[in-house]
Amino acid sequence: MAKKILLIDDDPDLVETVSIILKSKKYEVIAAYGGIEGLEKAKKENPDLIVLDVMMPDKDGYTVCKELKADPELSRIPVLLLTAVVSHIPTTRYTQQMGMETEADDYIDKPVEPGVLVERIEALLAKQ
Amino acid sequence: MAEQVKILVIDDEAIMRDGCARILSRDGWSVITAENGEQGLQKIRSHPEEIDVILLDLMMPGMSGMEVLDRIREIDTNLQVIVITGYATVESAVEAMKKGAYDFTAKPFTPDQLRLGVMRALEKRLLQKEADFLRRERESSLRDIATEKSKIKTIINCMGDGVIVCDSDGSIVLTNPAAGLLLAVPESQLLGSLYSECNLHPELLMTIEKSLQNADSGYTSISQELTIGEDANIYLRAHTAPVRSDTGETMGSVTVLQDISYLKELDKMKSDFIAMVAHELRAPIATIEQQLSVIINKMAGDITETQGQLLRRAKERTRGVLDLIKDLLDISKIEAGKMVQYKEPISLHEVIKGVVDMMTAEAQVKKINMQFFSSAAAVNINADRNSIAGIFTNLISNAIKFTPEGGRILINLEDVDGFLKTCVSDTGIGIKKEDLCRIFDKFYRVKSSETRQIIGTGLGLSIVKSIVDAHLGTISVESEEGRGTTFTILFPKEATAAGCK
Repeated sequence: MAKKILLIDDDPDLVETVSIILKSKKYEVIAAYGGIEGLEKAKKENPDLIVLDVMMPDKDGYTVCKELKADPELSRIPVLLLTAVVSHIPTTRYTQQMGMETEADDYIDKPVEPGVLVERIEALLAKQ
Repeated sequence: MAEQVKILVIDDEAIMRDGCARILSRDGWSVITAENGEQGLQKIRSHPEEIDVILLDLMMPGMSGMEVLDRIREIDTNLQVIVITGYATVESAVEAMKKGAYDFTAKPFTPDQLRLGVMRALEKRLLQKEADFLRRERESSLRDIATEKSKIKTIINCMGDGVIVCDSDGSIVLTNPAAGLLLAVPESQLLGSLYSECNLHPELLMTIEKSLQNADSGYTSISQELTIGEDANIYLRAHTAPVRSDTGETMGSVTVLQDISYLKELDKMKSDFIAMVAHELRAPIATIEQQLSVIINKMAGDITETQGQLLRRAKERTRGVLDLIKDLLDISKIEAGKMVQYKEPISLHEVIKGVVDMMTAEAQVKKINMQFFSSAAAVNINADRNSIAGIFTNLISNAIKFTPEGGRILINLEDVDGFLKTCVSDTGIGIKKEDLCRIFDKFYRVKSSETRQIIGTGLGLSIVKSIVDAHLGTISVESEEGRGTTFTILFPKEATAAGCK
């Protein structure tokens, strides 16, 4: 059975592009175009993994992540945070800067090489 | 010279007057005479500064010689008076000498005796004039100094910058109204007080304290920014320097305070603007690159080889723009003082090792042999882990970029007298002498046929330098064209610890 991935990003072009990558690997993709919509869909669709953008106007990725992890029904879903920090260094600076702790399961800078994105998603799903 | 010398003979006896005049004028001196005291005084007054020596008879009708002597003293204390006593008594001669006469001659005297006496008196007169001249000189230069002092005082008082000068014992010996205004402490309260009791900014207190320490503490001068005011919206730049004697003893310290609030405001506006623009640019370009990646990977259908080539070039360009944006964001962060905020004890060894491990693959693509030697694995410094990693990522990726295939890159870390010293050396194309001094400038890129193909923003090394600066370190570069380049960074172990409090 195809794994279900919820993709939350306010940029429709990015959602479309990332969907193409994921669908090419036979994942089922559900799109949400904002933090609030993303949380609703997470509850309704019960996805296997969430790809979450950080910078969103209605509710940012950190807040969404926090709420997901605080919800006992949803906290088991791995969250891959799409950050806007370009750097090869594994970093938690962004969270420090935001003054927030997030329990995202992995971070990835966008834009991302399709191969790398798929690799990281597979790794997270394999942990389950 | 001799013609100018005037001798006044005051004697009631014409023979004496004429005799003296005759003897003395033979030697070229000009002689004037007076037959009594009043006349004598009158002649002195009517020839001011002209008469040098007076021959004065003590026994005269009318005003006595003694009285004349007194009057002469009142007119000019430097006039040399030789008293002539007809009926020489030791008592009257001594009295005259007490009153300031230079010498006495008893009548009768020989012409030679007279000449000798006058000559000696003239010498004395000359010496006195010389001494007078020197004294006046000194007085006038003292006056100059006094004027200079008041000039400097006026300048210091009118300055917009604050000045605080401390003695070696810490008391404030000079200050100005601007200092009081900037520090919100009345000037009157500063002057004469111990700096430590003036309710100054704690960081400023610490700096002044350090600057007053012994010279062997190696302390030279420091510039720091102070935030004051109730809303912490006033920024001062304080430059404190010790004042040392020739022998190296600390004699005091001078602090100059400058209000840089408006500069800070401008800087913040600029940084905010850059950050805003960069963020706004970043999102669409990131999306474009993502779209290009998908097409290049043929996830949206097949493309021809030529299309693929064009798209890969396009992606390299978007990558270049994204790198530039990242650097601009870093610069605006550094300028806003936000880049190096999270100092913690870190192992430089571990951070460098992490970066080297991560970049080894990149080096291997170019068959570059990259090695890391360290003899300071156990030493920690207080630093911002991510920005320190940024330094080495930058230097090593530069080294890979500019080193031809088959080259070598060496990274060395050692503990040297209170510093952690790191060198990043490569066997790359090197840097021309004329470029060396500018490579840390913002947007400076070395232009040559060899660098044309290499994409860069010209911001990397300026960011590296800013991060090193923020850790109170130093960075230097040595290079030989065609042979290679070595960057050397020194992090002070203690200063980074202090900077972290």
